[in-house]
Amino acid sequence: MTLLWGFLWGVAAVATIASGAILGVWWERKVAARIQMRFGPQQIGPFGSLQMIADVPKLLFKEDIVPELADKAIFKYAPLFVFGPVAVSMVVIPFTAGWAPLDTSVGILFFLAVPSIEVIAILLSAWASHNTLSTLGGLRATAQMISYEIPRSLAVLSIVLLAGSLRPLDVVEAWRWWWMPLTFIAFVIYFIASIAEMNRGPFDIPEAESELVAGYFADYSGMRWASFMMAEYGSMIAASLFGAAVFFGGGWPFGGALGVVVLIVKTILIMTAIMWVKWTFPRLRQDQLMSLCWKVLTPLAIVQLVIVGVVLPWL
Amino acid sequence: MTLATLAFALAALMMVGGALVVALTRDLMRLVVGLGVFLLGVAGLFLFYGQAFLATAQVFVYVGGVLVLVVFAVMVVHRSNGGRPVLTSRHDIGAAAVAFGVSGMLILSLRDSVGGWEPVAGQGGVSLAEELLGGHIVVFELLGVLLFVALIAVLVIAGSGERR
Repeated sequence: MTLLWGFLWGVAAVATIASGAILGVWWERKVAARIQMRFGPQQIGPFGSLQMIADVPKLLFKEDIVPELADKAIFKYAPLFVFGPVAVSMVVIPFTAGWAPLDTSVGILFFLAVPSIEVIAILLSAWASHNTLSTLGGLRATAQMISYEIPRSLAVLSIVLLAGSLRPLDVVEAWRWWWMPLTFIAFVIYFIASIAEMNRGPFDIPEAESELVAGYFADYSGMRWASFMMAEYGSMIAASLFGAAVFFGGGWPFGGALGVVVLIVKTILIMTAIMWVKWTFPRLRQDQLMSLCWKVLTPLAIVQLVIVGVVLPWL
Repeated sequence: MTLATLAFALAALMMVGGALVVALTRDLMRLVVGLGVFLLGVAGLFLFYGQAFLATAQVFVYVGGVLVLVVFAVMVVHRSNGGRPVLTSRHDIGAAAVAFGVSGMLILSLRDSVGGWEPVAGQGGVSLAEELLGGHIVVFELLGVLLFVALIAVLVIAGSGERR
């Protein structure tokens, strides 16, 4: 019975991410176009909203090319392990007060830890392509992802300290509105580090179209390529949902079904901000990227922790 | 066969399979995959005994940290000549002796300290935190200092290599 539920949740998570990715790509095209004073997709369906429905079959029917010198087994199955952890990490998100698909006492740690599997899968798929550009992209992606994990976890830690629990449901329950100004720095750090974790612009040097073609997934095509794409949008959805739940109190000020709607609205706002950042700021160089992480974000996250630690005894 | 037995069997299978791949393959990247499967199996075993915190930490530190370091080392050290990086060391008998020796030592010492083959039921993350940050805090902190010293030593060695 548990197994069946687990399977159903898996299907639900994949369906959520897939449809979220379809909507997300459409929304991103619209946002990007508006920022660049264009219209974006507008031919197919109202406001071009059916454009992605037309794009999905194209991806499905594309030829699945495996390079001759690639390590076949790793090349073929690594994309699954890029996408899988993203879907799994969504299960601990508290969608409304008192309900999360998986209620566990270490949910927050789980959410932060599971993408580690994604890192190794990216590195393996990059290496398995047997291509210098892919390997370089993979190394860059890994260096970036494991570095930004640290400020990201430290930022979430200040919320954990305030709530006194690693259980996402407890955090949402303990959340008060004045946590927002108190943990503002933490949210900014979480926001920046999450974008870096997704390998999205302005942190997309692992993909760097102009020098590395597409970085670690340069040799992938068809649905295998699409699973990298879905992983990117999936982690955007997951990070935004988690950020909305933990930093903005989930469905606050409403509970129940209305709370879920509020959570989704907050999530869409955060996602739009992520797209806004991508289409506004220029790309960072590798050394700038590392110094931003280690010399700015990590010390700032520690300062935020100290602030919370000082305030905590008076609460 | 209950679901719990099935979960245990899966975790054990992942551990044994991963360990066999690590021990038998000469292809370094396959070896890394085997090691990853093994480490995830260990995490699964922790989960089976109700140690969710330990399982998550296992994934965080070992799969996300140590394994990535190993892949980095393989990628950076390996001199590409168009082929795959392979294990060229031929110390099979010595390695097997060390492996059997260490595992024998572990089994004997654990058998003496635990006093039976029955697994000890877990109490979760709270008791672990109390143990590590309560009674064993000095040891815990000393280990941290040791790792820090090792890190600085590695930096010094790597730095002196650059100057030469």
